[in-house]
Amino acid sequence: MQSAGNDIIALNLIDKQRSNDSRFYSKILSESEKIYYQRTVFAKIDFTCFLWLCWSVKESAYKYLKRIHPELVFSPSKIIVQHVSVDEKNYNGNFLAEGNIYYFRSEISREFITTVVSEDEKFEHVFWGFDSIKDTSADHQSKMVRALLLKKLHTVLPGKKLNVEKAIAGYPIIIEGTKELNIPVSFAHHGRFIAYSFLLPA
Amino acid sequence: MDRQAILDELKKVLVPYTENKELLGGITEDTDLLKDLKINSANLVDIIIDAESKYNIEIDFDSAEKMITVRNCIDVIAEKMNA
Repeated sequence: MQSAGNDIIALNLIDKQRSNDSRFYSKILSESEKIYYQRTVFAKIDFTCFLWLCWSVKESAYKYLKRIHPELVFSPSKIIVQHVSVDEKNYNGNFLAEGNIYYFRSEISREFITTVVSEDEKFEHVFWGFDSIKDTSADHQSKMVRALLLKKLHTVLPGKKLNVEKAIAGYPIIIEGTKELNIPVSFAHHGRFIAYSFLLPA
Repeated sequence: MDRQAILDELKKVLVPYTENKELLGGITEDTDLLKDLKINSANLVDIIIDAESKYNIEIDFDSAEKMITVRNCIDVIAEKMNA
């Protein structure tokens, strides 16, 4: 089943001291991820960044899988990052969840970490974007991320009158008139950052 | 500590992570931390750590994943306090 999942973390809202406390990070990372960081990743990114990269992958994965399995409960330690590589623009990798391998792409700046996940390693037909806003209230974040998504959707589906609504299960859906379109979409916001991802099936 | 006393203390734990403090006034056991209080999911682990300190308990992964509604939180805290 097709789905979408993303996340964004505003790094200015992260408590770095707490992030490095084992009581804290042990609720997010599995033992294998701690070992993987020590053996493989530590030269590429600092621990706080790794921790929140993993969190953003897990949160994105949860949104992705929740659409497929509505009864799913978020359990960070059961979504396990297995590999992280770095190219000139993105952090790429894969993770294990619900017995399957999925893939992530993340962008890390000094201000934020944003991630999108897919079952497709090449991320074909997957679109994602992010922006910063001034008003960080929850209502404004919600309004602005929907506007950002619709702006992008209107460029890839010109001429269509689209809206965003919520499915009974709680995830966002794209509506044209009264018809739900087969475009799985995911939203994220944290502080002054907003992000979306969607899958536009071929 | 009864459920009301746990709820009263839980409200204090949630204050730093709830942008609109007025929402805490209307809190019930059915309140959803993310949907109703608009708490960002990135703060869920903070809430679990703060609750551990407040009640002098340890909340493991299997319990933590249930802490989405206030009722779930009180259930988990009460169970750990009585363990």
